[in-house]
Amino acid sequence: MVQRRPSKTAEDADDLTHVPLQAILLADSFATKFRPITLERPKVLLPLVGIPMIDYSLAWLESAGVEEVFVFCCAHSKQVINHLAKSQWLKHPNMAVTTIESHNSVSAGDAMRVIYERNVIHGDFVLVTGDTISNMSLAEALQEHKDRRKKDNNAVMTMVIKKSKPSAITHQSRLGTDELFMAINPDTNQLLFYEDRANPITLEKSLLTANSSVSLHNDMQDCYIDICAPEVLSLFTDNFDYQHLRRDFLKGLLVDEITDYKIYTHEIHSNYAARVENFRSYDTISKDIMQRWTYPLVPDIQSFGSSVMKLGRQGMYSASDIGLSSNAQIGPFTLIGKGTTIGSNSKVSNSIIGEGCKIGSNVSIEGSYIWNNVTVEDGCKLKHAVVCDGVVMKARTVLEPGVILSFKVVIGEDIVVPAYSKVSLYEQPTFQDSDEELEYTDSSSGMAEISSINALTGLSDGELVSKAAEASEVGANGAGYIWSVCEGREEEWRHSVAPISEDRFAEILQAAAEGVDLPHIDNPQHSEELVAPSVDPENLTEDNIDEFEKEVEATFQRAVQENIKDDNVILEVNSLRLSYNMAATDCAGALFYSVMKLAVETPHSSNNELYKNVAKVITTWKKLLKYYLASIDEEIEVILKFEEICSESAKELSPLFSQILHFLYSLEIIQEEAILAWESEKQGADEVDRVFLKQAESFIEWLKNASEEESEEEE
Amino acid sequence: MWYRSPSFILDNQAQEKLLLQQQQHQQNDDVLNPPPPPSMSETSVLNPNPNPNISAYYQTRAAHHAVVTSDWLAQAQAAVAGGVSGEVTAAEVEDGCEVEKGGSVIEEFNSWRKQPDLAEAVAAIRALASVIRSSNATTMMELEIELKKASDSLKSWDATSISLTAACDLFMRYVTRTSALEYEDFNSARSRLIERAEKFGEISYKARRIISMLSQDFIFDGCTILVHGFSRVVFEVLKTAAQNKKLFRVFCTEGRPDRTGLRFSNEMAKLDVPVKLLIDSAVAYSMDEVDMVFVGADGVVESGGIINMMGTYQIALVAHSLNKPVYVAAESYKFARLYPLDQKDMAPALRPIDFGVPVPSKVEIEKSARDYTPPQYLTLLFTDLGVLTPSVVSDELIQLYL
Amino acid sequence: MPDTQTLVNDFVNKLKKRKIEGSQATARHTAELLRSVISQQRIPYTNQAGALINAIKAVGEQLIAANPVELAVGNIIRRVLHIIREEDLSLTTAAIAAAVAAAARSTLRPPSLQTLLEDVPDATAVPHTSSSGGDSEGRSKSADKNSRSRKLKHDVIEAVNELIQDIATCHEHIAEQAVEHIHQNEVILTLGRSRTVMEFLCAAKEKKRSFRVFVAEGAPRYQGHVLAKELMARDLQTTVITDSAVFAMISRVNMVIVGAHAIMANGGVIAPVGLNMVALAAQRHAVPFVVVAGSHKLCPLYPHNPEVLLNELKSPSDLLDFGEFSDCLDIGCGTGEPLLHVVNPAFDYVPPNLVSLFITDTGGHNPSYMYRLIADYYSADDLVIKRKSTAGN
Repeated sequence: MVQRRPSKTAEDADDLTHVPLQAILLADSFATKFRPITLERPKVLLPLVGIPMIDYSLAWLESAGVEEVFVFCCAHSKQVINHLAKSQWLKHPNMAVTTIESHNSVSAGDAMRVIYERNVIHGDFVLVTGDTISNMSLAEALQEHKDRRKKDNNAVMTMVIKKSKPSAITHQSRLGTDELFMAINPDTNQLLFYEDRANPITLEKSLLTANSSVSLHNDMQDCYIDICAPEVLSLFTDNFDYQHLRRDFLKGLLVDEITDYKIYTHEIHSNYAARVENFRSYDTISKDIMQRWTYPLVPDIQSFGSSVMKLGRQGMYSASDIGLSSNAQIGPFTLIGKGTTIGSNSKVSNSIIGEGCKIGSNVSIEGSYIWNNVTVEDGCKLKHAVVCDGVVMKARTVLEPGVILSFKVVIGEDIVVPAYSKVSLYEQPTFQDSDEELEYTDSSSGMAEISSINALTGLSDGELVSKAAEASEVGANGAGYIWSVCEGREEEWRHSVAPISEDRFAEILQAAAEGVDLPHIDNPQHSEELVAPSVDPENLTEDNIDEFEKEVEATFQRAVQENIKDDNVILEVNSLRLSYNMAATDCAGALFYSVMKLAVETPHSSNNELYKNVAKVITTWKKLLKYYLASIDEEIEVILKFEEICSESAKELSPLFSQILHFLYSLEIIQEEAILAWESEKQGADEVDRVFLKQAESFIEWLKNASEEESEEEE
Repeated sequence: MWYRSPSFILDNQAQEKLLLQQQQHQQNDDVLNPPPPPSMSETSVLNPNPNPNISAYYQTRAAHHAVVTSDWLAQAQAAVAGGVSGEVTAAEVEDGCEVEKGGSVIEEFNSWRKQPDLAEAVAAIRALASVIRSSNATTMMELEIELKKASDSLKSWDATSISLTAACDLFMRYVTRTSALEYEDFNSARSRLIERAEKFGEISYKARRIISMLSQDFIFDGCTILVHGFSRVVFEVLKTAAQNKKLFRVFCTEGRPDRTGLRFSNEMAKLDVPVKLLIDSAVAYSMDEVDMVFVGADGVVESGGIINMMGTYQIALVAHSLNKPVYVAAESYKFARLYPLDQKDMAPALRPIDFGVPVPSKVEIEKSARDYTPPQYLTLLFTDLGVLTPSVVSDELIQLYL
Repeated sequence: MPDTQTLVNDFVNKLKKRKIEGSQATARHTAELLRSVISQQRIPYTNQAGALINAIKAVGEQLIAANPVELAVGNIIRRVLHIIREEDLSLTTAAIAAAVAAAARSTLRPPSLQTLLEDVPDATAVPHTSSSGGDSEGRSKSADKNSRSRKLKHDVIEAVNELIQDIATCHEHIAEQAVEHIHQNEVILTLGRSRTVMEFLCAAKEKKRSFRVFVAEGAPRYQGHVLAKELMARDLQTTVITDSAVFAMISRVNMVIVGAHAIMANGGVIAPVGLNMVALAAQRHAVPFVVVAGSHKLCPLYPHNPEVLLNELKSPSDLLDFGEFSDCLDIGCGTGEPLLHVVNPAFDYVPPNLVSLFITDTGGHNPSYMYRLIADYYSADDLVIKRKSTAGN
């Protein structure tokens, strides 16, 4: 395909041929985060504060000056196209919206390839997904992109990023995604590194040498708004294992050494941009919209024709024609849609209620998202739940935090739906890809299911309900299946609508304090390592030492098992030492401990045998021990450690204390100065501590005499 | 010294005049034949001027609105003492000679007034309209004189009722403004007059509805409204708001000594509006919870202030000091040509006050039934001419009578 | 017609996206749009005014709904409607006796006691006056009607042009009065940046008045800084203060002059945020609080009217940087209730008792006089803009 190169002079290009600004909107996220809701409706049509997400994206694109939009639909494409037709977007005067349909794309990469084949993109285009909410002005970013393109044709993409600090405790961003780590050159805004997993980060040295300054960020959020050059499309076609936009394409470009394509970033400050990726982002972004960060895309201005929303005190949005009973307490930051009635004594707070809902009396709704035409009967309690269209909740049901009720589910009376569960009229797909990260493979099998469900939708509602009616998981007169929490979904609470609960939070704090989450270092490498900033800065705490010792022990045990040479073990322990920032003495102690442990664990029947074991072990690992016992201090440390072992962990060794000490001395692992120093140290100690001293008294006596002899001899 | 205060002197003068009148009217007692009231209660029909110290206007108001309905009785309330008299027909006659004419006006007036919902002034206007209809005059001058006589008799029936006076005055002005020169034919002029009189009557009758529609915008969901006594216009306003499903609650003062507030609260309760009854002294106490004060008016004066039931001035003062808006609902025929300079600068209207225990004779009782609220304490007036600020009212009146 | 529809949609879009800033610009755009609507509207022979009024009302409803806070839109729509009625009346009354004409003319004013007594039977016939007026004469000439219809449109468009002219030149007329109000050696306080105030001050400066200006910066947009620069460029001695320092400085000030977003029927002012505070401070120190505003800002509605949105809450990003505070906004942990709520209102309401004087392009007025001006510019029928014209609401 012949690419039109932008001409040298900007004026010519603009005057002669006005290239309309184009955009590609992917109306399929190729992910399954919103199941079971997305089995019946495409993600981009899900209402966010009462308005389908795609409307937000299209409204923003229009106000940003985009003139042609290509909406790529795959899953539930008919619904998307119908929605666009009904809502007049297809007939918009300033913005031409064209739909591109495909039925066998399984990823964003496939979508890009399809679009490339259609040959509709001429020039730079904006790439967004249908679930992006933003109010930014594209002018600046576009201008930067164009300027860069003129100077360097390899600047193919400009990403929009926004500062958003992740939680220091849960290491999750506000939007429920993992912490994102980026390296950016602050002078040119070029993106050098991008990683969204919380594993230890590896940066190439070449990165640092090639750029004059590098700034590392973990407080940025990827807005998934990209301004791309037309080359991007051909890149996708050339590499057709590029599936995911970020994981494959972006990272592929970054590490690609053959072609020199560059990606740049553009940071926005006072504008807002975010993408709804999972239920947590759904919750967060809804709340941002209610707090008016996305002005003017706010409910009271963007009434898309149907009803007028009024903003009252304390962030309460109410539409026309609502029936509120006089003693209903509607709390702050709630939105009540048109035609909804709320019964007496009900409490609603921090929630969004759609149109035509009937809420009974004595209902308590907190932090929930209720879509249209929902009936909630008396006495129900909802907390941090998502309730889709047409659901009927009978009296006194309780929804625990994080519950998702999909379309038209009926929950019987007095049912308590367990936390984080999803209820849908469709059964849970029985296949489950173990690696949840491979979204595209997951969705591919998901695609098969979706097409079968599309066939099902031909059935009338009644039939569907009767099929599900046997499942009394949701109570008498209920309809729906509860999707159980299965493997790969234990982390549900991370992405859930519900905020992280108090006890979970306490758990995480606890774990962070103990350092349980510390990464496990398997293979020490020779190259420099930059450890991810997840280690507690206070390194000299007790816990760390324990940890270290465990590591050393593990290393040692492996060494024993695999017969690793001393040198290698030394290396390993060294690296452990470096990483834990330990002193040599600690190493010695730990190693000694491991050695002893090994000896103790070798089966023995009597003390004598034990002694033999110990002797054998010590002999075998003599070199190792000697390496670490380089100075007297270390040796003293070892002796002290030995005491500890005898008194606490390996009590069997206690009677053998002095014998082993003698043995160590004879092997010249421990010098007599050390022993003598240890003795003098112990002079001032308590009785308890001097048990072993007493035991070794005779040996020490002998030593003293020997030393005298030696010193005499030397003279 | 209070002996010398102008209001005291005026009071005394008024007293003497009334006493004289009373003596005079004793002679005319037997001439009367008021038609028996078709109401339930059988208490004695009050004499034409039974007690010169009682304002007939307020008697009527008390009669109308302190009526104890059966359900109120059923709630074991003691019957309102003395005030229960279905319809008070205090027909009064000016001079013996003009008995018939005057009588017929009064009769007409009374027949209109039998409906408690009808404002006195509207009744008067309709009565005057019927005078035109039934008059035998052949020239405009004659007609005018007739009307003037009728209007005077109505006015003197109760000198204390401002709205009555104002309505009659407006009607007369209305008539005098019609240029008879337009129409050479007396009959067509007369029919035109009749048309306009009826129209005026219609408008005045509908005034209440217009006012209630205008005030709907000012009642928002969740507001608290303080009302004083029983004003039919205010009642209409609140009734319409309740029917439009607005959520609000009402604080109602008792409105002693008529206790008209009790009746009002009853009516509100029937409409399912949460209502709270306050004694008159509890107004300042509850004022911070209140969002707006809604009162009716007996008359709107040229300064833009209002004359209303005793207690209104007090409430307006408290509201003003706590920065609460005071809204007045008044029909346009209540605009009167008065300019009171202080509280006592009006024709006194007195009524009996029952303290529940006998009061020693040496103790004086303040019996005035109404007070004057200056315009600076009022926020807005809702009239059938629109929503006006007090200064607009004075502008209007000046223009009219200029 | 489809042409106007696209224009209307375009404008509605712009209003919705808050792309047009400032009452004057909005007013001018609205007037121009209505002018094109009128010129493209085909009107029938009878009841022409009615047809025009309906068309304008239809467009007006959409415009007002797009941005209820921008009251200038509604004002201009009502002005145009009033113009139509007036022009219509003047055309028909050209052929009718003076008395009835005068009577008919006064129907345009809001109902008052006077009119109540004069025109009671005519009141109900007002919307049909145009047609009935012609008919009742019994002298309808078809040729006459034809020319009348063309003339009506022509007159209306001329009047609308005048209106546009007025809007464009309102600043000059106001600035002309500056000399009467600003005297030698005065200290003037203002907040934020109002173009009207700037021209006002510059006009006084040109007339060789010497005075100093205190400019309160007007957070969160800090437009006061821009005004200070402009004033400095005209050689005016300027002092910039924060909004919170107003109370401290006001004792040294002779007069406060501010602009407004809209003036309501009771004399209250919808002004940029922070001015209520300044007005209270001025009252406390007995400093005159003068509001300068063009006549397109006069609104016939009351502030308590539910159609009037007193305020618009804008994006909190003006106040706080999202990035810095994103962890405070973190709702992922805890009870889910947002702990940090940032409110950024755009306007303030200043009650009429705090304002000393209004200076409009017609002169200086008392707040309690504003209703008179409003009665001149607007007809009572147009207070509620609904598609079906209702008689006398």
